[in-house]
Amino acid sequence: MVDQLPNRGREAEMLQSMGLQTMEDLFIDIPADVRFKEELPLRGPQSEEEIIADARRLLGSNVDMGARPSFIGAGLYRNYVPAAVFQLVTRGEFLTAYTPYQPEVSQGMLQAMWEFQTLISELVGLPVANLSLYDGSTAAAEALTCAVRVHNRKASQSNTVYVSELIPPDKMSVMENYCQGAEIIIKTLKHNADGTLDLGGLKEAAGSCGVYLEQPNPLGILDEGLITVKDIIGANTALIVGVQPVSLGIVEAPGHYGADIVVGEGQPLGSPVTGGGPLYGIFACTKPYLRLMPGRIVGRSIDVDGKEAYCLTLSTREQHIRRHRATSNICTNETLIALMGAMHMALLGPDGLRDLAQRNLAACQRTKEILSTTKGIEIVHTAHHFNEFAIRVPGSAKDCLNYLDDNGIIGGFDLSTWYPESKDQILVTATDQTTLRDIEVLSAQLAMWSMHQGVSA
Amino acid sequence: MSHLFNHNGANDTGYSQPPGLTCVNEATVPSGLVRQHSARWPRLSEPEMVRHYTWLSKRNFGIDTGFYPLGSCTMKHNPRVNEVIAQLPGIADIHPHQPEHHLQGLLSIFYEMQHMLEICAGMDQVTLQPVAGAQGEFTAIRCIQEYFRQRGEDQRTKVIVPDSAHGTNPASAAMCGFEIVEIPSLADGRMDLAALAAVADETTAAMMITNPNTLGLFEADIKEASQIVHDAGGQMYYDGANFNAILGITSPGLMGFDAVHFNLHKTFSQPHGGGGPGSGPIGVKAQLAPFLPGPLAARRSPTAQESVTAVDDYWYHWHQPEHSIGKVQQWHGNAGAVIRCWAYYRRYGSGLKTMSEHAVLNANYLRHAIHREAKKEGVSHLFVDGAETDVAKHEFTLSMQPAKDALGISAMDVAKGLLDKGYMAPTVYFPLVVPECMMIEPTETESKDTLDTFAEQFVEVLQTDAETLHAAPVTTPVRRVDEVYAARNLCLRHPFEDSE
Repeated sequence: MVDQLPNRGREAEMLQSMGLQTMEDLFIDIPADVRFKEELPLRGPQSEEEIIADARRLLGSNVDMGARPSFIGAGLYRNYVPAAVFQLVTRGEFLTAYTPYQPEVSQGMLQAMWEFQTLISELVGLPVANLSLYDGSTAAAEALTCAVRVHNRKASQSNTVYVSELIPPDKMSVMENYCQGAEIIIKTLKHNADGTLDLGGLKEAAGSCGVYLEQPNPLGILDEGLITVKDIIGANTALIVGVQPVSLGIVEAPGHYGADIVVGEGQPLGSPVTGGGPLYGIFACTKPYLRLMPGRIVGRSIDVDGKEAYCLTLSTREQHIRRHRATSNICTNETLIALMGAMHMALLGPDGLRDLAQRNLAACQRTKEILSTTKGIEIVHTAHHFNEFAIRVPGSAKDCLNYLDDNGIIGGFDLSTWYPESKDQILVTATDQTTLRDIEVLSAQLAMWSMHQGVSA
Repeated sequence: MSHLFNHNGANDTGYSQPPGLTCVNEATVPSGLVRQHSARWPRLSEPEMVRHYTWLSKRNFGIDTGFYPLGSCTMKHNPRVNEVIAQLPGIADIHPHQPEHHLQGLLSIFYEMQHMLEICAGMDQVTLQPVAGAQGEFTAIRCIQEYFRQRGEDQRTKVIVPDSAHGTNPASAAMCGFEIVEIPSLADGRMDLAALAAVADETTAAMMITNPNTLGLFEADIKEASQIVHDAGGQMYYDGANFNAILGITSPGLMGFDAVHFNLHKTFSQPHGGGGPGSGPIGVKAQLAPFLPGPLAARRSPTAQESVTAVDDYWYHWHQPEHSIGKVQQWHGNAGAVIRCWAYYRRYGSGLKTMSEHAVLNANYLRHAIHREAKKEGVSHLFVDGAETDVAKHEFTLSMQPAKDALGISAMDVAKGLLDKGYMAPTVYFPLVVPECMMIEPTETESKDTLDTFAEQFVEVLQTDAETLHAAPVTTPVRRVDEVYAARNLCLRHPFEDSE
């Protein structure tokens, strides 16, 4: 504690220079009836080394995914973050800066975020990107409210948006919380038995304010049908596509098949999973959405000498100026994590990103190939998958995952958590970090599980 | 200038990656989905990448660079042990959907943080899920909204905010669908109880206020305000942006509040990272607890089997509140930030009060030092206190209106002059109720010497002629940036088209 307070021991001197006697004199304006009568009932202070020791013990009891064969993803993906990214992002000039309100002394982060905007813009194929929202779920939610702001006046289905029925309930809940204040009605879009979007049913979404779909979808399926969606819903309904950014190394950028807004969970590019946060939400759009979009944006400008300079721009959309008429309440965002994403993209280059995407695709494909020959295991959807796919197991998914866990494997995600009727389905995730041995161990244990369940060899 | 897009790099492939797994059938994407247009940014080799970002970092000002008295932002030193802990095994490579017995350490830290914040705020239940202060505000107002809906009080459609409130307050309440009722502050910047009483009625859902307020003054009438709102049937919301002033001295609970958000990136030293990540937990009284977003960390006695791997005398588990509003972030919030702030809390423990005392000591000392130096140099007529008070709390405001009237020197001119002296500028033009406002918050981690020197330099800026100040800054990487040009000539990405 002492090592954080430079003025310990100088209190009397400082108080005296103000004509005060005790620290208590600094708080005479706080009435007695709202004061704590006693010390806070908390543990005593610790030294740095004691804190580290406790942190090692507590965090050490958590099970790292990398410590065993792990096949859990479902929106967050194990990846490798290059060493230089961690080294640079902890530089104090980045780490300990606030939002760049004084551009003259914040050119570094401003330029880095302008570059990030460019990278995201190129990645998703749209002209405008902001410098991050909180995560993939809030980016999707803010995209829906943005679409309503832009299209509501001309919409035949006013205040209405359509969302894929496959969207995980936790993400759906975030969308509902963000949408309910504007009284936005969220309707769902059906899928075919093969896991692809029912394009016939999509016609009813035409005339609404927006449609939210994911590519790959929550079951890992790369759905070719999405390239026709914009033609079906028309110019006055926003097509919003949620992406896994790494996939865009090989998968067509949604901006090139008609997306008006692209959002996504940025984590797989540049950031570890970190227990679910901090992450960064990607938000990019076409120009008609620019002035009604959420979040901070950096613009390139000039200084008084005409020299190139950067600053925050289009702030009149934001809460500190527009107050209750702002496009969003967002203020603090995920700049530093977005910076990690930019650094990772710079190291990869588009070719490296293509290779990384291909490794993820191949890891998924290899896992699928091996599990498709594993006794008792059925691959639920015949499709092109990225990162993950659903399997059907004998017995319940929950019991199967417990069995795998007892045998040192994080086997995947119990799909009945999302879709209650899918009691025997597991979402199995493979990434660039998945090894052949991991897959073989999973396959062997799934075969054992099937045998225990009475599936004959 | 170093530009990412001017590097030529090694164009053919990115940093060396291991080969992918070999498949029986080639792994492909559907033919109609094959990416047709490659993205157009260069690949940087590691030496180029390291140098580019190091160069950028040198063009950026952080707390590590120098004094950062940005009012309302609590720019305190970020202890480095927090960063070391965040890199230990057991956090980066953890998935939020792993089973509870994989996450006992994380859950125990979550529980400890919830409990600590409950005690500091005088609240009954805390959730760590909101990832920023503004999201905390939104979450708490959503809980209040559902609370009234369940009670059949749908007519409570209004949220009261003082005109000095942070912009996020009205923005967050409006996002929930509430109508905003703004009440004016008194001439001295404090809350106007009569104005509050005049608007609080059966349509009031909540009042949102921060205390100390945005002028750095403690609202001594806060209990009366709570009484007025509660008598009208509304709930009281505490904006925790200024929590650094009162830890261990008073609490929102003691003041009569029903809900509060914390900015862990302010009070508990999560580094702000140039704009984030933050963490914005909220605490609520018992009547609102069933509506919190879930899951929360909870604990019980372990079974015999569990006690073998338990981290202490308890078994930690997730708990879903009964009438939860659902989720505001898809996972469990910014766990990485919570870990860092846990390390910060452990450093102070029950001594958190000392931290707040020093924050208030430093703010008052700096205020006195600025007045002292100004008097000595004969420039004390160039500014006035933003609010009349004997003591400020963690921050204070000055109005530069006299300097503007006498010499044409604005608050922005002074701010830019301070940049030339090697400081980050204070917050300017907020709160709006103080003309030509400068809002100064030194925090507890600045030494007396730093404060004395800053006071001298501040006065030196005031002694500088207007023409020089209008031209400031001149020592920074760029000079005054044309924000109007940026808005009129929008350039939001690198124009590859032009350079090809």
